[in-house]
Amino acid sequence: MIAFSAAIAIGLSALATGLAQSRIGAAMAGAIAERPELVGSAIILVAIPETMVILGFVVAFLITALKTVTK
Amino acid sequence: MIEKMAKVEILGLKDIALDAIDVIHDLGTLHIEDLTERIGSMDNKRVSRMEMDPKFVEHEGTLNNLRAKVGDMIRELQPNVDDMSAENVATEYKGIWSENVEVMISRIESMLRDVERDTRDTVERKSDLLVELSRLEKYAPIMGKVQPLADRVAKMTDMASIALIIERKYKAILNYLNEEISKITEGECEIISSDVDDESTAALIVFNRRFLKQVHEFLAVQDVNQVRLPSDLSKKPIDEAVGEVRARIAQIPSEIDEIDSKLVGVTDKYSVKLIAARNAIHDRLEAMDVVPKFGQTDQVFIISGWLPEPEVEPMDKALTGKFGNKVIMTVVDIREEEDSEGTPVALHNSSFTRYFEILYMLSKYPRYGTVDPTIVFAFFFPILFGLMVGDIGYGILILVAGWIVHRKYINKPFVSMIGFVLTVGGAWTIFFGIIYLEFFGDWIYRWLGLLNADGELDKYLLGTKNSIFKYPVDRIEGFTFMLAVCLIIGWIHMGVGLVIGIINGRREHNFKHALEKGGIFAILTGAMMIIAKFGMAWWPTWAAGVGGLLALAGIVMAAKGAGFGGAIEGVVGMGNLFSYARLIAIGLASVIMANVANKLAIEQAKSGIIGVFVGVIVFILLQTLNIVIGVFSPSIHALRLHLVESFGKFFEPAKVRYEPFKKTGGEE
Repeated sequence: MIAFSAAIAIGLSALATGLAQSRIGAAMAGAIAERPELVGSAIILVAIPETMVILGFVVAFLITALKTVTK
Repeated sequence: MIEKMAKVEILGLKDIALDAIDVIHDLGTLHIEDLTERIGSMDNKRVSRMEMDPKFVEHEGTLNNLRAKVGDMIRELQPNVDDMSAENVATEYKGIWSENVEVMISRIESMLRDVERDTRDTVERKSDLLVELSRLEKYAPIMGKVQPLADRVAKMTDMASIALIIERKYKAILNYLNEEISKITEGECEIISSDVDDESTAALIVFNRRFLKQVHEFLAVQDVNQVRLPSDLSKKPIDEAVGEVRARIAQIPSEIDEIDSKLVGVTDKYSVKLIAARNAIHDRLEAMDVVPKFGQTDQVFIISGWLPEPEVEPMDKALTGKFGNKVIMTVVDIREEEDSEGTPVALHNSSFTRYFEILYMLSKYPRYGTVDPTIVFAFFFPILFGLMVGDIGYGILILVAGWIVHRKYINKPFVSMIGFVLTVGGAWTIFFGIIYLEFFGDWIYRWLGLLNADGELDKYLLGTKNSIFKYPVDRIEGFTFMLAVCLIIGWIHMGVGLVIGIINGRREHNFKHALEKGGIFAILTGAMMIIAKFGMAWWPTWAAGVGGLLALAGIVMAAKGAGFGGAIEGVVGMGNLFSYARLIAIGLASVIMANVANKLAIEQAKSGIIGVFVGVIVFILLQTLNIVIGVFSPSIHALRLHLVESFGKFFEPAKVRYEPFKKTGGEE
């Protein structure tokens, strides 16, 4: 159950990040085609949703650490 | 830090306006303000935009033509600008430049005549050869297809043949041609075709020689391409012509190489002159373009602009020295300006911090009057980068690669800056690598026998598994500890941003702004004091209570400073704090990948010599991949933590960068 919870924590957040990045990435690709100077902002904007998967990863890791504690 | 700017207005007699512009251009420190808008809104209609003398308009056209010619010659000769000595270009530039435009034009024209004289024949010959090569390369595959058919026709002396090339999608036209030519030749005709490539088809029309003239006349009015060989080949039998075409295709490149080697000498002789001429023309045209930005009355010209405060005196001395009291420069105190947003921003940082101005390739400069955060970036970026990568081996590679890039591309500021930032990041990577005791993953743990049978860190050089502070700090085993460290770093990093926000508020006498930033900082501090209670059992309960009160007080302060939005901002700030968890998360992903690479390599190496070989390859490939990801991902995330989490709390972008009106001086 603990492993399953950890998997959900990282899996769903990764899915959400992927969805968000796909849309931001597509929009920014269009924007860069028009205004190449936006490439810096694009990199930052694409990196923003990664917070979700990173926090998901942290939560997953903490859940697996919980397993060690409950042992 | 942001350079203190002074606004100046320069007034002088109109007949010396162009000379004054030349002096300002030479000094290259004045950021010109376009007076068009101000003049338009003036009630005093005696002031108008400055217009260029009609004589100079004519010169502008000549200079534009010369620029095009010089550009063409540079493209033809392709000089290696990177290896060119800036000093030599500057010397040539001085030789070409003259305050008298006509003299300058005549010098450039004379130089261009010399270049043309020395290059015309060779360049023309090269161009002809390139055209010939391209034409023959088109013929070769077509003739190759037609040759076997033509060979058969050649044996029939009373028959003639014509080769055609047709786009494949219009291949059906061959049926129409067959019908029509059959009518002309009374049925004594045949068309044989073969595809040359994906786009074209070659066809050979064979018919009785008696109808040669009629067939030619018919084809002349049809929209089809006959394969016409160069005149010297057209009368030869096709097999002989094919041989000659192939021989020419093989021969032409060596002729072009020969011409290129001749051109190298000419390029060496004129490249510096051409680049200097290009720069001089550019500067002269820029000086002409800027004229409409100035103002004038019947007698006086008016130039307005900004320059760094230390440059005011040299500018004043230069103008007074050359023109005496015919030109007057007045300093307008910037504190009298209601709007500091229009003030151009120039940065003045130490030689170390300057490399971190690379940040402003992605963002605008900070607004005039606020704090320049470059030093914050220079301090925190490499630390956050090193904290995430944290490996002695990776650090050494990043440091060395960064330094090489920095030195090798010293003339390319952007690349050189990246190299320098990576070098400093590499040094911090080594520092954190020593704290984690990681060398390409867990090699040091393995060598020192610190791992147990499951590959987990079991022994410590200092402390035990249950100690709070122990060495080495294993990121996998000590994840919770490192998470706490990252949150503290986040609190400090965001705190610095908020303190700068308070300073900005104070500088602009905006008390509410400062109160909002102070409130958010109190919320973050209070939140940290509460979180500490969950992480550390010994943390006193009263401290957590104080933290709660502080957070509440912070919400009130933020709300007082910026209304409901301020309170929301404060709560969102706590979310920003947890964003710093990425520091350990990304680092952990990197170290786990490095350990997996090591484990795979060791497992492979257990199965004999070939296994060792495979193991080494696996190790190199996976570690290289990890280093690449390890450089890219932490850079992006460290950058994001600055631009979103920390700078987002105070940063106000500038509208205008300081771009002085200056000559390229042969360094363009």
